[in-house]
Amino acid sequence: MAIGISGYSAYIPRFRIKKEDYAKAWGLFSAAGVAEKSVMGFDEDVLTAAAKVTKRALESVPTAPEKVTRFAFASTSPPYVEKLLSGTVLYSVGIPNTAFCSDHTTSTRAGTEAMIVGFEHVMSNPSGRAVVAAADAPIASMWDSIEHALGAGAAAFVLSGDNLIAELEGHASYASEYFGERFRPREAPYLHDLNVKKFAEGSLLTNTTRAGSALLKKLNRKPEEYQHVVIQQPDARVPATVAARLNFTDAQLASSLVSKSLGDLGAASVPVALASALDTAKVGDKIMVISYGSGAGSDAMSFKVVSDRKTQVRVQTEMDRKEYIDYVKYLKLKGAIV
Amino acid sequence: MAHVSVPMYWRTIPQRYKMIGQKCKKCGAVNFPPKGVCKYCQTSSEFEEVQLSGRGKVHTFVLISAGGAPPEFAEQEKAGGQYPVAIVQLEEGPKMIGQIADVDPKEVKIDMPVKAELRKIYTEEEVIRYGFKFVPG
Amino acid sequence: MKKVAIVGAGQSRYGDFPDKGIKELFFEAYKDMNASVDKGLDPKVIESAYIGNLGSGGFQLGNMSALVTEYCGLTHINTMRIENACASGGYALVAAVMDVMSGTHKAVLAGGVEKMTDVSGIKQKYWLGVSGDTEYERLAGTTFSGLYALIAQRHMYEFGTKREHLSMVAVKNHKNGAQNPKAQFQREITLEQAIKGPIVASPLNLFDCCSTTDGASAVLVCDAEMAKQFTDTPVYVTGFGTASDFLAIHDRANTTTLEGTRRAGAMAYKMSGLTPKDIQLAEVHDCFTIAELLAYEDLGFCEKGNAGPFIEEGHTQIGGDKPVNASGGLKSKGHPIGSTGTGMAYEMFNQLRGTVQKPTRQVKGAEIGLIHNVGGSGGTVAVTVMRR
Repeated sequence: MAIGISGYSAYIPRFRIKKEDYAKAWGLFSAAGVAEKSVMGFDEDVLTAAAKVTKRALESVPTAPEKVTRFAFASTSPPYVEKLLSGTVLYSVGIPNTAFCSDHTTSTRAGTEAMIVGFEHVMSNPSGRAVVAAADAPIASMWDSIEHALGAGAAAFVLSGDNLIAELEGHASYASEYFGERFRPREAPYLHDLNVKKFAEGSLLTNTTRAGSALLKKLNRKPEEYQHVVIQQPDARVPATVAARLNFTDAQLASSLVSKSLGDLGAASVPVALASALDTAKVGDKIMVISYGSGAGSDAMSFKVVSDRKTQVRVQTEMDRKEYIDYVKYLKLKGAIV
Repeated sequence: MAHVSVPMYWRTIPQRYKMIGQKCKKCGAVNFPPKGVCKYCQTSSEFEEVQLSGRGKVHTFVLISAGGAPPEFAEQEKAGGQYPVAIVQLEEGPKMIGQIADVDPKEVKIDMPVKAELRKIYTEEEVIRYGFKFVPG
Repeated sequence: MKKVAIVGAGQSRYGDFPDKGIKELFFEAYKDMNASVDKGLDPKVIESAYIGNLGSGGFQLGNMSALVTEYCGLTHINTMRIENACASGGYALVAAVMDVMSGTHKAVLAGGVEKMTDVSGIKQKYWLGVSGDTEYERLAGTTFSGLYALIAQRHMYEFGTKREHLSMVAVKNHKNGAQNPKAQFQREITLEQAIKGPIVASPLNLFDCCSTTDGASAVLVCDAEMAKQFTDTPVYVTGFGTASDFLAIHDRANTTTLEGTRRAGAMAYKMSGLTPKDIQLAEVHDCFTIAELLAYEDLGFCEKGNAGPFIEEGHTQIGGDKPVNASGGLKSKGHPIGSTGTGMAYEMFNQLRGTVQKPTRQVKGAEIGLIHNVGGSGGTVAVTVMRR
């Protein structure tokens, strides 16, 4: 039985800060290829953003919230370290209390992690409906160069066995043991990174290429058979490096390279990038998706576009809706001035 | 003191998260937020639950500056500058107060169309209080 | 039912008094009231006392009326604290009037006291702004300036009321308050200053808002039959009215009318056998400038929507045909919440007897006056009409 994505949507908070404002404040901007990035408003967090995209994704099908049987939420920057997070979204959107829900919060891979559990649900419950919402606005110390890339955004997908836009062709994962790159110790409010660059890059390349090549092999596909490749975007250069290792081209990356103008969306990076690829994909197009989370792991998913139905709110529209802020306002919104 | 306890806040989340109102079984008018007795006919206390669309238009508004912000909202004012609060004429009939988010305060006008969505309202006792705000559209 | 007279009235200075608490402030007003009784007062005749108070920042929330009266030597009497937000004093007066009317007690004290400036800025904000609908209005991010601004904005939209009209209220009341030795702000302001004040809750600026104030007031209400034993010139209470409304403005059918004022006024006029035309001067609740404009309309001094031109034409100046807030109003005299209503009665008692402290503020020859006290944004309203 074919399962896949039957609805999707993204949300980008309206504030933007330009790399020039960082350079003015710090003398440099250390997020490769990122020209500007998105910032959440004072009254937003990943749960309000998730509520918004979940509603939009359901409306894009449309599917009544009461039909949802599975809800999965993903973020690396949840407002609470302990407390069920899905409940806020589930209740506000009107998803039944009896829907099984789960929170995925420990790495930037959480977005695809949630998607795969969602797919597993509809695979075993053919009349079921899963909604996956990934929303993120990672926080690091302003003194730390990894902070420069961190943006904000959200995307949600309705997964089902009917009314498909994109059919899931298969998925593969790779997990391994790495440490010291992008981690948050217990009690620490901010991300840490020991900045051992080659070691960290090794983890990223190993996990992503192994997940990606495992899926290609499983599906007996060649990279050139894909029109779109969506890769985790901690900045705007990493995806190209990973793509090259797997023999994908920059052209295949083009439809999903949102980090240039949004920054690192954490657990929402691949979900928002996938929404962007779906916005422009044509019937018959194939989409390869590869996420990465430090620690480390990677998920790969392959989709075939089967309908040219699109969501009402395009990622490009969301990217174009913006209001620039200066670095002082950025510090205030990020809660960096205490 | 203006302390809104966690249970007190929780009791209103059907209104704050989902805009659940009451339709009077006698006169048919929609009350929001809920009343014991219908505020329109002032006779019936029989209602059915209705979910409001959250859509409406600005009936009147104010731009709150530092001096006008309650302490729960002082930080919001300091971080983002003056913020608009409106009484919104909702589609279904009732009027309701709420902040307008995602808007340049100078752009707020009477009769401007708005819709409700979930936002962080404020934090008390380290608990984030979520609820609706209005946004343009 | 008994007829009711006011035979004495006193007020503390209004302002910021770090050296006085609620007991001392109330005692100051009480002594002033006693001294005002022309033929002298034996405190033993006072059988009952109603004290308006919002809680004075949380100090002595319970049993405060017993505390302030025993400090003045009034023990073993009927006493209770009356709380209806900013209208507490107005309701304390009405409670005293009803007490006398019913024949239960013959000589009754109505007073009010508030100590507002002791409280730290943050505590004060948590304490105040609690008299609207806390759940929705306050948690939308408003205090009272915001709520009255919502009304002002709509009034401007519906009736073309101008920024200047609001400021004219502030200018007039500061002009009057400058002549009141007991006022908090005894200085005049210019229209330009009033228009350009720092924004608090747009369209309201600092000069549209009253301040926080320490102060107390007390009036002696008695059976009219015994009034002459205290004074040859009593002031008679001819009628009163009180009315509540939906607490939240959004629940009200009409945003630009305080229905509580309209109904309380109508009731007071009816009981007095008078109409708005008969009122020769009034003390109205100008916690914000827009509130005074609403009062003109809702008390029937002018047509609905016409308050802007009404103030512009000068009707409500001292010397106009309907002087309003000759005391300086809440705006300039000050607004010690629980005291405000009986403070208005103090002013009216003196105006109608021709005994205001500075003759420049005296409305000459006035016989009939009205006082109007609003709780919150109109959730409760008390109106009392008096004649000499």
